[in-house]
Formats: sequence, C-alpha cells, structure tokens
Amino acid sequence: MVSPILLIAVPLGLAFAVLLVGFISRKLVKYVPVLAMAFNLVVSLLLLPRALTEPIIVRTGSWGPPFSIHLVAGPLGLLLASLVALIGLMVAVYGTDYIREGATRMYHVLYILLLTGATGIVLTGDIFNLFVFFEILCISSYALVAYRGDKAGIESAAKYLIQGAIGSSLALIGIGLLYGMFGTLSMADIARNISSVSPLTVFASMAFLVTGFGVEAAIFPLNAWLPDAHSSAPSSISAILSGIAIKAGIYTVARVLFTLYGAESVLLFVAILGLVTLLIGEMSAFSQNNIKRLLAYSSIGQVGLIVFALGMASVTGVTGALFLIVSHCLAKSVLFLSAGYMIHRTGSMEISSLDGMGQRMPLSSLCFTVGAFSLIGLPPFIGFAGKFTVIQAAVEQAGSFFTVLMAIALVGTVIEGAYFFRIVQRLYFKPQSQGSPGETKGRQEAPVSALIPIVVLAVMIVATGVYPKLLSMVLKPAATDLLNKADYIRHVLGG
Amino acid sequence: MRFLYEYAHYAGCFALVFIGLYIVLVKHNLIKVIIGIGLIDTGVNLFLVTTGYIRAGTAPVFSRLAEKPEQMVDPVPQALVLTAIVIGVSVLALALSLAIRLYGRYGTLDLRKIKELKW
Repeated sequence: MVSPILLIAVPLGLAFAVLLVGFISRKLVKYVPVLAMAFNLVVSLLLLPRALTEPIIVRTGSWGPPFSIHLVAGPLGLLLASLVALIGLMVAVYGTDYIREGATRMYHVLYILLLTGATGIVLTGDIFNLFVFFEILCISSYALVAYRGDKAGIESAAKYLIQGAIGSSLALIGIGLLYGMFGTLSMADIARNISSVSPLTVFASMAFLVTGFGVEAAIFPLNAWLPDAHSSAPSSISAILSGIAIKAGIYTVARVLFTLYGAESVLLFVAILGLVTLLIGEMSAFSQNNIKRLLAYSSIGQVGLIVFALGMASVTGVTGALFLIVSHCLAKSVLFLSAGYMIHRTGSMEISSLDGMGQRMPLSSLCFTVGAFSLIGLPPFIGFAGKFTVIQAAVEQAGSFFTVLMAIALVGTVIEGAYFFRIVQRLYFKPQSQGSPGETKGRQEAPVSALIPIVVLAVMIVATGVYPKLLSMVLKPAATDLLNKADYIRHVLGG
Repeated sequence: MRFLYEYAHYAGCFALVFIGLYIVLVKHNLIKVIIGIGLIDTGVNLFLVTTGYIRAGTAPVFSRLAEKPEQMVDPVPQALVLTAIVIGVSVLALALSLAIRLYGRYGTLDLRKIKELKW
C-alpha cells in the first residue's frame, strides 16, 4: 500500500540528495533525476486504478481535512502526476547527455524541484499549499531558463521572473481574501461555503486568483514572457516548460474556476479569451524564423485551444481539453527534444538551416514530423482524437454559438498546418545548403540517450492515436472529477 | 470616521501593493523594478496578517487561564506570511543575482537598452 505523498516526498528528498551524490561521484549525479522520475511514474501508475474508483485522501499530521494540509489524489490529479513523471523521465534521460556545460549538479537539483512542484500542484487539496508548490515550480523554472548564462537566457529569465513574481503576489492576495471570508484554506471547505456569500464578494478573489495563476498558464494578455523564456532555455527545459509548467498553470486555473467557485457565468469569457489566445499564438508562430520561438508560439496557440475547450464546461468539452493536454505534452516534448539536437548539429536556430535534415538525422526528423502532424491533428496521431473530441463537444453544446467559435478556432489549425508543413517540407525535400564550410555530409544522428526518449514519446503518440480508448477510459473520470464539485467536496470532507 | 478606523490597515496594505505595481510598470531601472516587487510582497504579507488581526489581541498561547480564545489573533495567517516571506526573499535573491549577471553582459541596468528579445 503506497501513499500518494511519496510522489512528492521522494523526489524532494532526491533533489537535495543530488548534492550529496555529487560528493561521491560526479558521474552518478545525472542519473538521480532519472531515478526520481522512474519512481514517480511507477507509483502514480500503481495508484491510478485505485483512484479511478475513489479519490485517495491523504491526511498529514493525523488531522482531518478541513484543518490539515491534505492531498487529494483523484483521477485527474494522478493522471497529470503520471504525465509529469513520464515526460520528466524522458527528458531526464535526454538530459544525461544533452546537459554538459555549466553547473550540471544545480541543473539536476532544479530540474527535480520543478517536477516536484508540478506534482504537488496537481495533488494538493489546500489552496495555500498549492501556492507554495506553484512557487517551487516557478522559482526553479526562472533559474533554469537562465541556465546557459547567455544574454538571451538571462534577459528572458529576468522578464519571466518579474511577470511571474507579480502574478504570484496577485494569487496570494486572492488566497488572503478567501481566508478572510471563510477562515479555511481547504479547497473543498471553501467550495462548500462559497455559495453562502454573494457572488460579487467572491468575484474579487476569483479575479485575483485567475489572473495570478493565469500568468503561468500563458492565457492571452499574460503571456509576454513565454516565447522568450521557452526559446532561450536549453531545449530539455523548453520541453518541460511547454509540456509541464504551462499545464500546471492551466490545471490550477481550471481547479479554481470549476471546483473552488463553480463559476458558470464567466466561462464564456474564458472560452473567448482562449480563442483570442489561440489565434494570436498561431498567427505569431506563422511569422517566426526561429524554430524554438515558433514552437513556443505554437504552445500559446495550443493553450488557447485547451482553455477554449475548458470553457465549454461539459464532460465532453473537458475530456477534449484533457486529451489536448496529454497530446500537447507528448507532441511538444518530442518537437523540442528533436529540435534540440538539430540545433546542436547546425549551430543555428533558423528554420532555413534545417534544410535536408531528413537525410542527416533521419530518426529525429521522423519523430519531429510525427510530433508536428499530431499537433496539427492529422488522423493516425493522438492530436486528432483530441481535436475531434473538442469539435464534438462544441457541436453538442446548446445553441450554435460554440459551433461558430469552433469554426474560428479551426482557422487556427489551418495556420498551424501551414507552418508545420513548411518545416517538414524543408526537412525532407530541400537539399542541404552547400555554402557553410566545416559541415560534414552524411548521417549525424543524435546520441542514443536522446533517441530513446524521442522515439518512445513518438511511439506513444502513434499508439494512443490509433487506440484512443487507452486514454479516454482515464480521461472521462478525470473530467468528471474536475466538473463535479459536489463529489469532490463529499470525498474530501466526508458525509 | 468609524469606517476609516476599522479599515485603515487594509487601505495601507493595498496602497503598498499599488505603489509597488506603479514602480514595476513605470521605472526603467531593473533594481528599482526589483524594489517594486519587494514592495508588492510586503503589502501582500501585511494584508495576510491583517486578515487574522484582532484589536488588542494576544498571541494564541494559553499562558494564563483567564485568557479567552476570542481575544487571540488567528495564528494561521501568520504561518502563511512566514512561508510567503521566505518565498519572497528567494525570488528577490534570484532577481538580484540575475540583475548582476545582466549588468555583466550588457553594462547597463536600463531596461530600455536591454531589448534583444521582442515579440
């Protein structure tokens, strides 16, 4: 009988054990994140079947839920925890060879801390505890963006830090307002009492919380930091930021909106905000010449689509949003990881330098193509299942308003297709540019430690795309977990 | 006047937050921006403490039997603030270390001149 608390405690312990291991052997250090994340993956997958029947509530210090900090490991929490662990494990394997220069020990410490923060966010049932984990995630990602210490990295880290720090201060004000009104920090307890006060009074705290956490979720007016931070960080960190950090932000916003407030009236606004985010992200991505910036803007676009789907607030809509979360996680990690070694080989982030990569790095290019096609939503890949579910939800919605919005959202997909096809065309159908001296012809495939995670993730994209039932049997309960406020309160507080 | 007496401390906290926000938005020097973030942090922390404050209250420790729980301030916000202060300090420390590195690379702290990355 394992407890979900191990998902947080073990990586947190291992994060600081990295420094001790460093005294024994410097070579062993890079395997500690792999160990931590492998442990998390196994434990969260072991717990998942049990959570599907009933959420696991962990009491700390033997105090019952409203008074203590408690963990709520429901279907959604454990699904996201296993996703964090999976991506974390793959990127950790990738990082064993990719991260060579600089303070590598610090990289591994911060890396584990970032993932611990993300795991804590999705598992906790206490709003202030959520804030603390959120800060663990944010602070380690600020530092990791600046890891390489070059001009762009430091500048974007400073930008990210300033915006993130203001965001978390706003979230803290929201938490303070909630505590002042209800005298409790347990999310279930707040959710139970929220209908007892007038909606106008709780609106201020909701606005603060959503704005504060929305900075990390990169919802439209709050995402100025994202393209810089994602493109200046080392590629492994870009994959984690795009795959995990944004998703943690989206999860928090969704939890606050659905479980804490049950706010139906603002959801239309949220959906439109998502739509604006989507269109702006995709249009900016279209005009980029830098491969990593392009991927970062495409992340903004995907976040917009996810938020749009969440705004529909139906079981199908939220299932679609979770589908997209999983598919974006897998696809964007593959894209960033395979682009990482392509950039390493050519020494340039320009898209034009990727010409003829299909011959030089066949396997990486193939996986890049799989990831790109999945993001666009082509049929045999998981992205298709996600987008299809979202469209289905929009059509199911009463009134034709959401169908019209969905039609606009699909324009974003067309733009997405345009820029990804352009890159794939360059990979395969353009000859390698001749001019640059010192470039060797022939194969220069990425090392095995990089190929394993890329290929595994690409295979997962295809496997879940061919057989989406594999995922949807977990996603449906997870969506109900998010939407059904009464059940959440009943499970946590009992009675 | 009664209203002012009751709620003056809230106004003070939010004034600090807004002063900090103003500094972050308007000033161009990175160090001043970091000071602004520090002010926001302080304002938020003060606000958290005031949510649990009782006028002429005591610490929630039963040292004398005559003390009633109604006269004790709420200890939870103080525990929260303690955590929030630690987080704030680490963010500020990281921000200052980034400022040092930024100065080393660009030779200036003026945010108008540090503009390599744009949307």
